[in-house]
Order: sequence, then C-alpha cells, then structure tokens
Amino acid sequence: MATKILSVDDSRTIRLIVGKAFRPYDVQLFEAANGEEGLAAAAREKPDLIILDVTMPVMDGVTMLTQLKENAELKAIPVIMLTAESGRDNVLQIAKLGVRDYLVKPFKDAQLIEKAGRIVTLQKKPAAAPATSPAATPAATPEARPAV
Amino acid sequence: MSDSTNYQELARRYGFAPKSESASRLTQLVARQDSDVDEIVKVINKDPALRARLLRAVNPDAENEAEYSIETVEDALMRNGVGCAMVLAMGTPLALALIKTAQTMLSVQMEMFDRSLAEPLENEHLLCTIGFSGKVVGMVYLRINLASARIIAAEILGSSPDDMQDVNEIRDVAGELLNIMAGNFKSNLCDAGLDCKLQPPEVRLSTDTYSPKVPGGGLERMTFRTEKVQIFVDVTANPWNTD
Repeated sequence: MATKILSVDDSRTIRLIVGKAFRPYDVQLFEAANGEEGLAAAAREKPDLIILDVTMPVMDGVTMLTQLKENAELKAIPVIMLTAESGRDNVLQIAKLGVRDYLVKPFKDAQLIEKAGRIVTLQKKPAAAPATSPAATPAATPEARPAV
Repeated sequence: MSDSTNYQELARRYGFAPKSESASRLTQLVARQDSDVDEIVKVINKDPALRARLLRAVNPDAENEAEYSIETVEDALMRNGVGCAMVLAMGTPLALALIKTAQTMLSVQMEMFDRSLAEPLENEHLLCTIGFSGKVVGMVYLRINLASARIIAAEILGSSPDDMQDVNEIRDVAGELLNIMAGNFKSNLCDAGLDCKLQPPEVRLSTDTYSPKVPGGGLERMTFRTEKVQIFVDVTANPWNTD
C-alpha cells in the first residue's frame, strides 16, 4: 500500500516541489494550502507523515501543529516542518510541541527524501518503460535543461 | 539548560546550516542604538565581503575602488552614521539566502555584482515585495525580468522554459523565492531581538524601478547574476521603530 503523505503549504510552488521529490516513490500525496485545510485533510486521510509550513494564511503551521497534538486520533502522526524560518524562538517553540524533523528552505529534494525516509517507508516505483513519444523529449530531464 | 544551548542542540539534530556570525553580530549591535561604534567597525573589518559592500555603498559615484573617497570603515561610519551599517546587517541574510537558494534549488552559483554593470530591467518586469513590521519595519523589493523568472521557474519546477507559459505559475515561483529569502532574513532579525512579522508577499508586473525608503531607515541595493539571470534586490529597514 502506498505511503500517504500530506503536504501543507500555502505556496503552490512548494507543493509542486514536494510532489516532484516524491514522484519516484510509491507515495500517495495529499495537499492543503493552510492549517485549517491541513487538519481536515489529516483527519480524513490519516496520513503516515505531514510536511508542514509555518507561515500560512487562515491558520499557521504552529497553530495546526498545536491542534494536531491535542487531538488523540491525530497526535501520533509524525510531522516534518518545512519552512524558511529558523529563528531560535520559533524552533524552540515548535520542538516543544513535538516534531520529528525540521527542514529549512531552500532545500534539495534529496534532503526531504532523506528526512522522510527516516520516518516512513519510501518504496521506489518500478522503472517506467522507455518513452518513445515526442512529448518525452530530453528537454524534460534535469540533465537536458539549460543552465540558469 | 539555556534556550541558546537548546537551540544549538536542535540546530545540530536538524542539520541546520551555520548562520553568518558577522551578520548576526552586526544585527545585534545595530539593534541597540547605544552600541559602541568601535565594536561595529571591528565586526565589519573582520568580514571582507561586508567591508567591501559598505565601502561600495558609501561611494555611490565611484566607478571602482581607486575612485573611493571614503576608504575605511571608520570613515564610512563617521561620515554616514551607524545607519549605513544597519542596511548592511539587513542585506546580508537576504543575500546569503538568495545565493543558497540558487545553489540548492537551481544548482548554480549566483554572485553579487555591481549594479552599474547590470543590464537594465525591461520596461515591464516582475516586482515582488514583502513588508515586515514589529521592532523593525521595512520592505524587501525583488525585481526580475520575465524571461529570467521563466528560466528560474522552469528549473525549480523541473520543466523547460518553453513550457512555462503560465504567468501566474511564474509569479508564484518568484513570490516563493522572495518568501524563502524573507524567512531567512526574519530569522536573523528575531535572533537579534528585533521581533517582527512578515506580511504576505505581493507579486505583480510593473514598470516601476523606484524602491522608496521607510522613514528613518536606510536602503541597500543589491544585484545578483548567474550565467543567464539577473536579480535586483533592494531592502529598506528601520530597526529603531518606536510605533
């Protein structure tokens, strides 16, 4: 059965990057754009892991984490914080609430996979058959992308 | 165990990259209005990059170092006040965050360079802004040509620039780039005792290249480049906000 991961971030860009990172693995990814949506998705899907941003509209990540840890059914779900904020007070507060790990943006896909892989099983998907259609041009591979 | 020891232990456990000590120390000193100028001078002189940026900023009309009329950090602070060190302290975490973002998410080396050498922005470009308020108030402005933003968005999202036709998607990536920079910037301010909150970032197409200073604050203008991309970042801040 696929590992269920919930990505909670108001940035669509970050949710896309998280999705790209887990694409090679047998992972069912769920997304939420704020803490309120994140709590609802956590209650509905019971993910194996939550990847959580801090600064979000509607409900921020610290509030979501607090409410998650107060909920008997959800409090055991491991959380990795994924945020650009690594200020001392923020980190101390979040660590006290209880997170399994903390990743500071900017980050590499490999760092996220390594941290997630320490918490949940990440099974590689079987390699896809070689593509022959013109849509799968080398330009879509990282090696073929132009230098920035 | 003190909060500071606890934090260091957590930073080790989570694998945080070390922060710039000179930027943190400078921010702490600048945050106190009664700081000893000699101590500020010492911190800046210890960091060649900070020193070079300060001297560049206080000699705006000079084409190169040989034309500098202000040649020492002491002289710069005497003539311009501690405010010029303040913008330096503010700009450093932004610059470091942008360079690190380029290394980790774009796999390229980004360098800061003199704005007078930059190719001018296109008339219509992306303008991303994020304000912050609290003990320190200010604004960060990030400007980038649409073509450059498209290249960056494609690289970050694992696509090709030709496939990046949705301007909203490009705007979203540019906004996140600023968000990442501002988050790192805010952490540095908060650690120096300058608690503040970030406002939501705004991204729009603009023809405006003017970055107004906040009242009582300073402004630093930084320019960055890779082989194909130029990014213009301005930061204005007043760390002595009394509102």
